[in-house]
Amino acid sequence: MKMIMKSKEFRRKLYYGGSFVLIAIILTSVFAIYPIINSLVLSTTSGKGVVTEFVGLGNVKRILVDDVFKQALKNTFIYFVFQVPIMLTLALLLATLLNDRKLIGKGFYRTAIFLPCVTSLVAYSILFKSMFSVDGIVNQTLLFIGLIDQPISWLRDAFWAKVTVILAITWRWTGYNMIFYLAGLQNISPSIYEAAEIDGASKVKQFFYITIPMLKPVILFTSIMSTIGTLQLFDEVVNLTGGGASSPSLQATITLTQYIYDLSFKYVPNFGYAATVSYVIVFFTAILAVMQFRVAGDDRG
Amino acid sequence: MKKILAIVMMFVLVLSLAACGSDDTGGETNGTDSATEDASGTDESTDAVTDSGSAETKTITVWAWDPNFNIAIMEEAKAIYEAENEGVTIEIVDYAKGDVEQKLHTMLASGATNELPDIVLVEDYNSQKYLQSYPGSFLDLTGKIPHEDFASYKVELMTMDGSVYGVPFDSGVSGFFYRTDYLADAGYSAEDLENITWDEFIEIGETVYEETGHQMLATDPNDGGLMRVMLNGAGTWYFDENGQINIADNEALADSLRIYRDIVESPMTKITSGWGEWVGALNTGDVASITTGVWIMGSVKAEESQSGLWAVAPTPRLDVEGSVNASNLGGSSWYVLSESENPDVAVDFLNRVYTDVDFYQKILVERGAVGSYLPAASGEAYTEPDEFFDGQTVFADFSEWMDRIPPLNYGLYTYEADAAIMGVMPGVYAGESIEEALEMAEQQLSSQIN
Repeated sequence: MKMIMKSKEFRRKLYYGGSFVLIAIILTSVFAIYPIINSLVLSTTSGKGVVTEFVGLGNVKRILVDDVFKQALKNTFIYFVFQVPIMLTLALLLATLLNDRKLIGKGFYRTAIFLPCVTSLVAYSILFKSMFSVDGIVNQTLLFIGLIDQPISWLRDAFWAKVTVILAITWRWTGYNMIFYLAGLQNISPSIYEAAEIDGASKVKQFFYITIPMLKPVILFTSIMSTIGTLQLFDEVVNLTGGGASSPSLQATITLTQYIYDLSFKYVPNFGYAATVSYVIVFFTAILAVMQFRVAGDDRG
Repeated sequence: MKKILAIVMMFVLVLSLAACGSDDTGGETNGTDSATEDASGTDESTDAVTDSGSAETKTITVWAWDPNFNIAIMEEAKAIYEAENEGVTIEIVDYAKGDVEQKLHTMLASGATNELPDIVLVEDYNSQKYLQSYPGSFLDLTGKIPHEDFASYKVELMTMDGSVYGVPFDSGVSGFFYRTDYLADAGYSAEDLENITWDEFIEIGETVYEETGHQMLATDPNDGGLMRVMLNGAGTWYFDENGQINIADNEALADSLRIYRDIVESPMTKITSGWGEWVGALNTGDVASITTGVWIMGSVKAEESQSGLWAVAPTPRLDVEGSVNASNLGGSSWYVLSESENPDVAVDFLNRVYTDVDFYQKILVERGAVGSYLPAASGEAYTEPDEFFDGQTVFADFSEWMDRIPPLNYGLYTYEADAAIMGVMPGVYAGESIEEALEMAEQQLSSQIN
């Protein structure tokens, strides 16, 4: 080991290799690492705007008694617990269905399901907002077919507003995850399925005992990416149910990121406290990611 | 050949990815990215313009919202001033209200002040918030503007440590705008709507809905604007004169929560969400009335086909002692940024136009802007009949009501209080007790205030 470290050859490689990554390191340090550390320092201050004072763990104490924070945390977790599994399951099912070699129009279906991902978050949220408004097309259709007899307040009712947000997110991101699964499925040789067929396994059994175990790394990846994304949810909620610097946020759907925004731009700005709330998101994301690694890792023996 | 093709394709894809923008980090994205992205897209126009602060043409940038009201009024002011001052160009930028506030916070907090405008419009509920959070960012106008000629409640809310920082602009004096045809069909005339209480308003509204099939008003159950109209008319606020929280034992507030619940639950109310839907309900003729600040007049008049079908009645009042049939919602003022390149020109501009009695007559008639410049109230426009309102002398009415508005100190935390109250409203709508809801709201609010 020591010989390798001191050899001229190694130093030369380090010099050339290092100079290639130097730019990346500088950029990452300035734009990613420095803000991360700075916001940790910021979270020890509290005040109005630029008039701040050091409070140490004061912000942490405040978070523990903050009702709005608790509501935002609850909402964010409700989105996480319901939306991520539904979306990933749907994506997996769709990917399996569309993996069929004999399916006609396969390309069309894949494109159609993937297309929502390339739309702008704000644009599609606004469209959904107009579709789900009290006299919007969704209510009109449901009234027409007789499923409901009074228009549902999709955007204002505490329960339905969350449902609308979950529907919107699922619509947008299912295709994205489906593509990952499709790519993963290409790696499973069809001969395995044929062998299972010969052994008498039903399609359902094949799905649970072949597809899922072989896709484990991809599932883990999409699961963690979706977790991170849903915990940071902001766009859809603000554009669908209201929020922003001068409109009221709906307490039934407020998310942690939206609360951070409110603390910085709507209420008397307390950037230190907002930074503390953002570290809460980091904390939960880290915990959930570790948990998911553990769950996936254990099965590999 | 294939290799070259592959390399070309790669370049094209990389370039298009780079051009796409920076928000896809492989999963759901942190949305503040796209929110600020949208706002900064329109920055380019102010950028190009403020660069030309040369000795030849001085450029003043103004940020404001509401194209039918504030922007239109500023355009008038700009026309007057530019005609008299050759070397000055005034650039007015129209943003959504939330975007102005967001950009102001971002720039003042980060210290990146080169993109700031020279003059900005700030809502009165927000002025103390900006003044106290970013001291030194706004130009001290004490002595430069004749503040003694403006309504004292407006001057008070822009004063910090004895210095006055802005130029008072419009008063948010409120009125009960209604469709005379719908109300007449239901059997109501103008006299029936004078000096009513909110309970009577609900009765009238339900009759209108039964008789004509048109809903009486549109409201967003999550927006506390109407509640603030009720409170201000009762001479009370979420905070008392000393800035202490006044929620749990506030009788007027408890009454307004009850009325709010009754309004939202009644079939006479159209539930909307957001500004667009709210104003849309008026313009499409779906609803028969709207009770809010006089600044809605621009939006009401935007639908010309409805001319002659509207009238304005005094704002309904809460049935508590001290309530009057007059209230205020919103209202804003102009502030000059300290970082402005041409502060003298900016101040001179505001001084020249916003102390001009004729200017106030003009904007009153055209936009329904009730200014807070006291000498203007004696002008002729205030007694002119407005044909959109079937000849009613609406401005004389609004001035009269403005005199009766109970003056209040809004304090800094109006939005936090609003969120606390609107946060407990779903419980109230579901049947929870109002006292408990107010207790919860007070608790939540006290933890928000640092």
